[in-house]
Amino acid sequence: MSNAPASKAPAKLQRAVRRLGLRETHSSRAALSIVTAAVLVAVLVWLMVEMVLSATGNAALLMSPAELARRTATVATETIPGALVAAGTVLAVLGIALLAAAVVPGRKARHIMGNPGGTSNPRSAVVVDSEVLAAAVSRIARTVAKIAPEQVSSSVGRKRIDVVLQPGSGLAADADSVKEAVEREVAGYGLRRPLAVTVSTPQTKASLHQAVGA
Amino acid sequence: MNGTRRGLNRTLLALLGLLLIAAAGLGILAGTSRGFALSWTEAGMDVWARIQERLGAARIPGTEISWWTVAVFSLLLFATVLLVCWIASQGTGRSNQVAQMQSEAGDTTVDTAVVSQAVKAALAQNTHVLSTSLQSWKTKGGSGITGTGLKLSVQARKGASPVELANDVEHLVTEIDALLGTQIPVLVRITSGTRSKFARSERVA
Repeated sequence: MSNAPASKAPAKLQRAVRRLGLRETHSSRAALSIVTAAVLVAVLVWLMVEMVLSATGNAALLMSPAELARRTATVATETIPGALVAAGTVLAVLGIALLAAAVVPGRKARHIMGNPGGTSNPRSAVVVDSEVLAAAVSRIARTVAKIAPEQVSSSVGRKRIDVVLQPGSGLAADADSVKEAVEREVAGYGLRRPLAVTVSTPQTKASLHQAVGA
Repeated sequence: MNGTRRGLNRTLLALLGLLLIAAAGLGILAGTSRGFALSWTEAGMDVWARIQERLGAARIPGTEISWWTVAVFSLLLFATVLLVCWIASQGTGRSNQVAQMQSEAGDTTVDTAVVSQAVKAALAQNTHVLSTSLQSWKTKGGSGITGTGLKLSVQARKGASPVELANDVEHLVTEIDALLGTQIPVLVRITSGTRSKFARSERVA
């Protein structure tokens, strides 16, 4: 199947491909940037409108620039301290949120797959949604456990895959063989960030409870 | 894939965040310490008085308006234009040509639609695939004058093996290479979506 020999990609292409994979799995912060910029634009436009209105001798929309400056100068003593603290807290939360968005990597629920050829120089960056991985893992798990699709649920996180088996009452599911099959399948994906597999069934939970109760 | 300046986004967001935190600090300090609030007002009134003095000293002849007001207005206008540019820079870099070649006889360009149709036709019979889309974007390290890269999105059927899909697509990529005669950077996206949720899964694995 995968016998298309990925011809050795030049270093420049490899760099470009690696960059594409990294960009696709991390947030660009575009939405937040647009919202922030739009809010700032609204404030600046309002300020400019007020300036024009006061220069042409018209009534202010909300507050003339002179009044705004005077109020800013005396806000500390003319406002009740509680309101100042409350406003400060709101601003601090907003500021910390913006700073966090700037600093935190912002990984998306996607994973970079190794290239199918198995060679060390990928021709293309393959980025898979975690949901696709979860669905594939569920399929393997239900095939091995011989249960219905509705009786398996999988979730793929940043570092782990959790598979939950719900076999019919009175039936047992072989969690170990499911775990082995899922691990084999996931190893075949050659993910850039390896995922640890955990398989749980109601039985394992029940025996845990027993162990705690004993 | 797009040309969004991510470093710029993060730098500006961080700066604004720091600015907000600084303002918040001042507000909380003024709310909790009476002495700080008093000195704020004192300093504020002082500064405001001086500003008014300056404003009065630089009047445009024959009007009530100061040159300073005009300067501040243009500064605000400039900042607004910069902010609009910031918004406009998000998600740019889409192109509709995959490859370009110039020779003595003339220029040759390959439209993205050509490759797109070929890829769609090739994946139409694939039972793992619900839908395919192909876009080209200006990419760092891309080929040709424009430096294009390809983004090939494949919506997978629920439960489809990502390895098999990736193999099939990788095959296509080598064919695209042969078609274009050059290797351009390719991003393959294997996605899930509403169609993946509602389409029935393949029962024969």
